[in-house]
Amino acid sequence: MKLNKFAKLGAVAVLSAVFLAACGSKSTSSSTKQVLNWDENAELPTIDLSKATDRVSFDTLNNTNEGLYRLGKDSKIEPGIATKTTVSSDGLKYTFTLRKNAKWSNGDKVTAKDFVYSWQRTVKPSTGSQYAYLFSGIQNADDIMDGKKSPSTLGIKAEGNYKLVVTLDKKLPYFKLLMGFPSFYPQSQKAVEKYGSKYGTASKYMVYNGPYELTKWTGTNLSWTLKKNNDYWDKKNVKLSAINYKVNKSNTTAYNLYQSGKLDMTYLNAEQAKQMSNSKELVTRRGASTFYLEYNQTKKEFQNKKIRQAISLVIDRKQYVNKVLGDGSTVAKGLVASGLSKHNGKDFADEAVVKDATATDTAKAKKLWNEGLKELGVKELSFSILSDDTDSGNKTTPFLQSQIEESLPGAKVSVTNVPFKTRLDRSEKGNFDVVVSAWGADFADPISFLDLFTSDNSYNNGNWKNTEYDKLIEASKTTDSGNTTKRWNDLVQAEKILMQDQGISPIYQQAQATLVKSKVKGVIYNSSGANYNFKDAYIK
Amino acid sequence: MRKYLLKRVFYMILTLFLVATITFFLMKLMPGTPYSNQQKMTAQQIQIMNEQYGLNKPMWMQYLIYLGGMLHGDLGVSFQFSNQPVSYLIASRIGASAQLGIQAMIFGVVLGIIIGSIAAVHRNTWIDTLCTVLSIIGKSVPNFVLAVLLQFYIALKLGWFPIADWGNFSYTVLPTIALGVGPLAETARFIRTGMVDVLNSDYIELAKAKGLSRYGIVYHHALRNSLIPLVTLIGPYTVALMTGSMVIENIFSIPGIGEQFVKSILTNDYPTIMGVTMLFSAGLVAIILITDIIYGMIDPRIRLSGSGD
Amino acid sequence: MEEKIKLSPESFEALPKAAELDNEKIAAPSLTFVQDAWRRLKMNKGALISLFVIILMMVVAFGSTPFINHDSLVKSAPQYANLPAKIPGVPINGLNGKLKVSGEWVDEYKQNNVPNNKYFVLGTDYLGHSLAQRIIYGTKISLIVALVATFFDLTLGVAYGIISGWRGGRVDNVMQRIIEVISSVPSLVIVVLMLIVLKPGMTSIIAAIAISSWTTMARMIRAETLQLKSQEYVLAARTLGESPWKIAWKHLVPNLSSIIIIQTMYTIPTAIFFEAFLSFIGIGISAPQTSLGVLLNDGQKNFQFLPYQMWYPAIVLCVLMIAFNLLGDGLRDAFDPKTRR
Repeated sequence: MKLNKFAKLGAVAVLSAVFLAACGSKSTSSSTKQVLNWDENAELPTIDLSKATDRVSFDTLNNTNEGLYRLGKDSKIEPGIATKTTVSSDGLKYTFTLRKNAKWSNGDKVTAKDFVYSWQRTVKPSTGSQYAYLFSGIQNADDIMDGKKSPSTLGIKAEGNYKLVVTLDKKLPYFKLLMGFPSFYPQSQKAVEKYGSKYGTASKYMVYNGPYELTKWTGTNLSWTLKKNNDYWDKKNVKLSAINYKVNKSNTTAYNLYQSGKLDMTYLNAEQAKQMSNSKELVTRRGASTFYLEYNQTKKEFQNKKIRQAISLVIDRKQYVNKVLGDGSTVAKGLVASGLSKHNGKDFADEAVVKDATATDTAKAKKLWNEGLKELGVKELSFSILSDDTDSGNKTTPFLQSQIEESLPGAKVSVTNVPFKTRLDRSEKGNFDVVVSAWGADFADPISFLDLFTSDNSYNNGNWKNTEYDKLIEASKTTDSGNTTKRWNDLVQAEKILMQDQGISPIYQQAQATLVKSKVKGVIYNSSGANYNFKDAYIK
Repeated sequence: MRKYLLKRVFYMILTLFLVATITFFLMKLMPGTPYSNQQKMTAQQIQIMNEQYGLNKPMWMQYLIYLGGMLHGDLGVSFQFSNQPVSYLIASRIGASAQLGIQAMIFGVVLGIIIGSIAAVHRNTWIDTLCTVLSIIGKSVPNFVLAVLLQFYIALKLGWFPIADWGNFSYTVLPTIALGVGPLAETARFIRTGMVDVLNSDYIELAKAKGLSRYGIVYHHALRNSLIPLVTLIGPYTVALMTGSMVIENIFSIPGIGEQFVKSILTNDYPTIMGVTMLFSAGLVAIILITDIIYGMIDPRIRLSGSGD
Repeated sequence: MEEKIKLSPESFEALPKAAELDNEKIAAPSLTFVQDAWRRLKMNKGALISLFVIILMMVVAFGSTPFINHDSLVKSAPQYANLPAKIPGVPINGLNGKLKVSGEWVDEYKQNNVPNNKYFVLGTDYLGHSLAQRIIYGTKISLIVALVATFFDLTLGVAYGIISGWRGGRVDNVMQRIIEVISSVPSLVIVVLMLIVLKPGMTSIIAAIAISSWTTMARMIRAETLQLKSQEYVLAARTLGESPWKIAWKHLVPNLSSIIIIQTMYTIPTAIFFEAFLSFIGIGISAPQTSLGVLLNDGQKNFQFLPYQMWYPAIVLCVLMIAFNLLGDGLRDAFDPKTRR
């Protein structure tokens, strides 16, 4: 019968394709010799450190380049290019002595001029660096960013090739930490000028001075490799020969790759983390980011403190982090993330904790809610909660909606999840009732958080205003900036005011659950600034 | 014919121009800015950056500049990938998507024609029902579900193919299947329907009477005539598949354009959105023209309009 | 040749008057087009069962409105999150509250201290919502999306295609260019734009579908119309001076019915999947509402651990699709004049 001939032909074709393909797949297997296969969940947009804005770029730069310091475990300052640092008695002048054996991957020496050039380039408005604000406090930086002064007036000078002098406008207690952040790393003027507009757009259009060199990155592809940099001054302590990055946007895919041994690390989504909670390979990376509710205080109902408190008190945060998120995120103690910064052995978040700020008390909430409604003269209140369309954003809003509607009589909540950029735009324009915002610290100091809610800060989307708070923050930057304890107390006090008033309602401190193969050792993760430091990593 | 072609090419350009215009102005309505950290930038910085990207000029001027650039292949610079020309971004990403799209289309259409023909010849028997149900299931399962299942069972459990990533042919097999099942099901159903119609017509009766074999009839008469509605379908479908499937690329970690396109929409990367849209639209109008020409060739009854009036 | 049959008038006999008339009579009862179609549809068992399934699903989905509404959807119970199915009196693993965790069946209800009398027939999702309830609601939303898309296909798509194909020439040319432009602007861009004008959710999705879903139908119909235009019976109708509207309705639509029905059968999943795609990238329907697409997408993420969260909505969607398609086949056979034998 003719059908058979037809069918056979098709079957043979399909089978042979399957067979051939199956043979092909066996040839690729990952070797285990000091090579790390790392999961990444977003693409690498740039390695121009003046233009970097995202986690992946900063992570990559942190490993391919190096600044005055490297940040070790728990953001501890470790030597980088600087071998010696002297600080003037008023704390406004830093003199760094640079090592002479630091080299760029094109063979040039890393000199003080590279730092001067790099900083000036970042601060210059025409570069369009979105992270230039970190330079605020360095002499003339603000004026240069505003275009009032020329970049050459920036408070950084090279004295010879190996001495660098930095002058500050005001004392920056966290200045040394900043030096470990990629925005403050040096750049080779020769390279920037040679590659022109292509600088930093592919691995070959860049020079490196860190433990690793970036290779195989075409500028738009989804995989790249960090290869050991043989020109690195401390190369004898770098044990890995390569780190292969692979972008997997789907956690399911990354998990499958991990299971089959193609990856040594994978990010987990909440559900996966919950299921793997007993695994020995589970590593939870607690981030220094806090998720909080901002209330639009240009609206009458949210100017009412009782309404804000009621909403906050009704949220069962413990249930949320354990049952809904389940990825290791923890209940926020306040705005400033736990484990970010310590003074006299005490964590800031513990010092500044305010009773009831993030607690659950439905009875009290109902009482406050009813009082609040009475003060407003209304019987019910409908409002909308805005968030972005990320995995966690999509989980947060329905949860809040159900918690509020179930417990607060007369509350009508609608939820709006929009793309991240749209959410930012709406937040900025005040086009929201309640918005779920998040902030991650750029450096390990409470001011990185607390600065957000001064009256005139552009990140204060809800327009919460408190003169005492503003005064305390100002004092921490000016009169008390020299006295660590006083400054610390100012900041603790400020946070307490913010919490007592529920200017914002913190919900949770984010954590990223990952699985890491137990053979991988020595990977350093810091919750603020650039996250991963692979300098000391190795495979056992 | 030449006159007809010239006329159509003119229309193609007109269509592209309209698409460019509409997309451009729609883009200007989209909320937000391309800067991810705007609130920390000074007014001066924002102004300078707007100047660099040409965002400070009046809209009509931006529009003219954009059209001018497009004429000589300059699609601007991506916002998301700093300093990366959009044309480079597209060029480096389109390869994987196009390969996958073509493979999926070939897989789907060839298998679909075979299955559809078998079903039509054996219509109203269990073979027909089986083919129908299979193709319906193929069409009913969203491709992201199918992709997850293939990845889990075929790649992870059985280890026949790589789980994800992009490389030699073996990497393309699972995504091709996941992407090709849609066209397969659709082709099979169209072929079956078309062929049942044709098999009932008089000239087939004649062919039967002449003693042609069943599959001879299918091949010589029925297939050709039932391909007509299919041609309309396949063209745009191919373009859609070639310009990338966000879902499949996402699940199989393929560096394709579809996934990048969605990302550029969500991050307000206007030049990339425009670039990909124009590419898609150019592909679409070209393929529509080609189908219209093929039409005239496989079905002599259709006169190419335009040559007449 | 040799022998001539001799016929004389006597060889013929006149029939009685009544019989003469009867001979011309059509034996079968006269049926209208719709009656005939219904008669033939009834003969197709698969189509009848499918019709029944669809009606049942619609009744359940839309009938649930008084019971499953905003208030019941918004209630969450995170303490019951991610429980597998538990049906009273069914001791089958997977349906008795047990879930396979790293190769072993574990009673999740016991582990989570769920009261003994608490049953979730299809399990729960990450917020402890009953999955059965969500699937019913999701089916409703997906059906609405499908119906809206079908509506635009059948009205706008068919009419546009027929006019374009029938008129030909300049009109056709302009209309085809419009279609090209519409199908070139990515629907995702339209949806994102809708988000600023409207709120994310049903309205934006429906608006986006209304703008772009019907173009494929219009193109298919136009192609067929071009072909049918030159058929003898259409020419005949034209020559007899039939009005174009009547020709379109009496001749074109019945002959196009197979294409229309098949294409509609593809519009339905395409619309449902479009909605699912939006939820895949996170801008679909907004909570507490849900759709089959949202459920599938949520389930897909946790497939390795909680396979039931993907399987149940997938099964419902498949059954729905198969029913739609078999019914479509039946309708096609019933309506298409060419298959009337």
